[in-house]
Amino acid sequence: MATQTKPQSATDRSEAFKWSMVIDLDRCTGCEACVVACQSENNVPINEESAFIEGRAIQWIRVERYWEGEWPDIKARFIPVLCQHCENAPCEPVCPVYATYHNTEGLNVQVYNRCVGTRYCGNNCPYHARSFNYWEPVWPEDLRNQLNPDVTVRSRGVMEKCSMCVQRIRRSTRSKTPNDVPDGSFDPACVQACPTSAMTFGNLNNPDSKVSKLQDDERKYHVFEHLGTAPTVMYLKQVDTHGA
Amino acid sequence: MGLTRRQFLKWAGVTSVGAVVFNGCRVPDHEIQIQSPVELPEDLVTGRDNYYATVAQVGSGSEGLLVRVMEGRAKKVEGNPDYPLNTGKHHIRAEAMLQATYHPDRIKSPMVRIAKGGPFRAIGWPEALERLTKILSNADSASVLLASGPTRGKLADVTKRFATGYGAQMLGFDPIDQAVLRASIKNIYGQNALPDFDIARADFIMSFGADFLGTWIDPTHFMRGYGEFRQGEGRERGHLVHIDSRYSVTAAAADEWKYITPGSEGLLALSMAHTIISEGIGDRAAALALTGGNLNHLSNYAVSKVASQIGMSAEGIQDLARKFAGTRGRALAIGGGSAGAHTNGVFNLTAIYALNYLVGSVNVPGGVIFNPPGSQSRIDGAPLRDWKAALAAMRSGEIKVLLLRDANIVHGLSAELKVTEALDDLETIVSFSSFLDETTSRADLILPGHTPLEEWGTDVPDVGPGYRTVAFQQPVINRFRDTMAFGDVLIQIAGELGNSMPWNSMRDAVRADARDLHATNRGSVTQPTFEEFWKRSLERGGWWDQGDTVSGVPTPPVLPRTPVQAQLAGDSSVFPLHLVPFESHSIGTGQYAHLPWAQAVPDPITTVAWSTWVEVNPKTAEGLKLKQDDVVTLESASGGFISVPVYVNPATPPDVVSVPIGQGHEQFTTYAAGRGSNILDILAQNEDSDTGSLAWAGTRVRMTKTNTRVGLPKLEGIQEPRQLPGEPVIVVFKPGEADHGSH
Repeated sequence: MATQTKPQSATDRSEAFKWSMVIDLDRCTGCEACVVACQSENNVPINEESAFIEGRAIQWIRVERYWEGEWPDIKARFIPVLCQHCENAPCEPVCPVYATYHNTEGLNVQVYNRCVGTRYCGNNCPYHARSFNYWEPVWPEDLRNQLNPDVTVRSRGVMEKCSMCVQRIRRSTRSKTPNDVPDGSFDPACVQACPTSAMTFGNLNNPDSKVSKLQDDERKYHVFEHLGTAPTVMYLKQVDTHGA
Repeated sequence: MGLTRRQFLKWAGVTSVGAVVFNGCRVPDHEIQIQSPVELPEDLVTGRDNYYATVAQVGSGSEGLLVRVMEGRAKKVEGNPDYPLNTGKHHIRAEAMLQATYHPDRIKSPMVRIAKGGPFRAIGWPEALERLTKILSNADSASVLLASGPTRGKLADVTKRFATGYGAQMLGFDPIDQAVLRASIKNIYGQNALPDFDIARADFIMSFGADFLGTWIDPTHFMRGYGEFRQGEGRERGHLVHIDSRYSVTAAAADEWKYITPGSEGLLALSMAHTIISEGIGDRAAALALTGGNLNHLSNYAVSKVASQIGMSAEGIQDLARKFAGTRGRALAIGGGSAGAHTNGVFNLTAIYALNYLVGSVNVPGGVIFNPPGSQSRIDGAPLRDWKAALAAMRSGEIKVLLLRDANIVHGLSAELKVTEALDDLETIVSFSSFLDETTSRADLILPGHTPLEEWGTDVPDVGPGYRTVAFQQPVINRFRDTMAFGDVLIQIAGELGNSMPWNSMRDAVRADARDLHATNRGSVTQPTFEEFWKRSLERGGWWDQGDTVSGVPTPPVLPRTPVQAQLAGDSSVFPLHLVPFESHSIGTGQYAHLPWAQAVPDPITTVAWSTWVEVNPKTAEGLKLKQDDVVTLESASGGFISVPVYVNPATPPDVVSVPIGQGHEQFTTYAAGRGSNILDILAQNEDSDTGSLAWAGTRVRMTKTNTRVGLPKLEGIQEPRQLPGEPVIVVFKPGEADHGSH
């Protein structure tokens, strides 16, 4: 039976947790295990063939592929792109109904039942991290058995995006102090699935966490850093020994 | 002082506005629960979740899984952190497997065909088992063929016992079998089990044709090692060279990708061996053994003789050989995939794996590590040669009854072999599959099986971790449909036919194996009583013994003095392009095409989903006046052709075209049927000369433009990329350079 616990105050949680993710592009192979794990965990609708053709595919995390050079001296590079959970998120101030805002734990949050579908946030996101539900998501009756009961199924007309698996964060941290939440004790679905361990998730307010330590890595960068969005998601540069 | 009506209204207005304004400054934090209703009000009760450990064969790989189950329904598949091969991670196919259980087109109960060619009628299990018993009792057992997809562990053992006890013939089916790899490993290392590749501790890897990070054998296991190979703590970054005729995921991950003439991988390996031996930079004892004491034994492979044949410069070959043998740490050679898919497949792979002897990387950390021979049975995909013989036996009436389990031979064998006609000649087809694929839809009787999440079993991984490993498969949920585990059907029917097995059910059979493991009193689980051992082993997902390894390094055999050339099918003047098919990273060779998640995940290189395409070099496309999305026909010397849309791929070599395997189903659920083309249909039916396996990378084709265009469903181009000047999306780090280059 569910129990009601006293919610921690916003100040408590802001001092306790600041969630972050680091993605090492030198480990990433573009395998897309993260993509499917995210779809499964977060009840992301099945992208039918028409969704790709019409440019309406919904992916909370996607793997982008970039070409460099020409045959035979050619290279494909991959980068997983998800909501960067920016501290100065361009999506937040443009929402007329406060459906997206920054919470006290560093997450950019989407409130589905506030969203009226203006799509201003999607237009303003430089990372194309937001997807709009142009249609009511449909699962065949049998496949509904696999839906995650911890995650709201979004309806038509609502914007959605990566929540950093906030349901897992809630389950693992409710009524807990940072000392009760050891580094690595839980992960978002994408991080959990990643076969090369290219993705690391953790609490930036914990100086001993892996994500905190990786802040000093010489390969660290943010995508579109000059925009000043201050993303919470950080990347480690891909090492290229070509010509070295 | 009295309060006037006007003052009251003013204060009330200010207070209301203030309340709204100040409340609006910060959103109540509990709003976040709208996204995630984890913390529900007291009057709403959510289900409790449980996690159960199990194992599944994912392609050729073995993945230990933890399945989240809530209110009797499986909700999420995750990797089992305890299982030595995938250590908490999992492949997209493992995740998508969940959809097999709850698939809307899954066969819901046993079915019998009312009349030959007529519709199916649902029946109960007693009637289904009675009908099966009658079919097998009436048949001459020698005229019964049991065809199974690749199977391992206890189910393979039960299946083999059944076939042997009853007297049926048995064949494994896999469109891309591993017979060439197995024969090569046996040739060069004398091992019956495939070895592990210690990628995590290698310093220099040369892979020939094996897309080990994408589709080859057990990519999740290999990717675990690859992450460490790149950025593991306390080690230098490893260097990966990939030799392949297609630009795969592994090629993209490599530091160097080299294209050589398809089928000449063995020549390159032996030319490297010749360089290493003649320059004296490798292990001298191994060199003497591989050359039979004559260090000039490999003179036919001198770089000057080989370079022009394989499309590489002599300096390029020497450079690779010197880097491979001269690496400061451990060098490792891996071969497979397209390198073994030629008429000289065994020659190629034997030569590639011989390189490990020259650098001392056989059965040592960072090299090839031998696995103990599995104590249990395994059903491997049989070579094409055996399947041709089986089809001939069906046509001649020698085979009259076909029992099928996950062996979709109509889709997986070329149309040239006329499989459907052979099936029409049979008296009876019985299928144990859960879905109406092209072969099962021709069955007379269907006894649908469980999905992997619903049944008992074990798995002894094909590529183990270097020590004895037995994984336990347990039903994490009750059966969702009116199905019965294939193993249980065989055990029950065997009893009816008078060939009883020593167990009453698959659960009993698995427990019997567990008893043997318990009796060893060693390994990852040791408990005083069997019941405690059983419970703990199921919780952990299996049993493994790090002390049970294979020691020693065998004496290398003498390498072939004379080169064996690949025979390509098709005259190059008529069929100018080399066809390199490749396995899809999500739908495999088609066995996962019914799963919507597997269909919808974009191909990493092209970003195409739900479809078949042909990858064409930009200059080749320009020469043929082809543009992206133009539909072309690909035709081989066999006379078969398919129509596919073009994907202009800048990494495709000019004289090569590549097409993914797996689509082109006529049936196999609404998610797979009528989608794309089946490239297997136009492959020349040439065989590897040693094993008889299909030389699937040895076909030449011609490409002709049609007047049709289609929109390829792909992720690429859905949104205009926002490239900022001087601000790349992917930034690269060039060691030793202060100002790092960027893309």
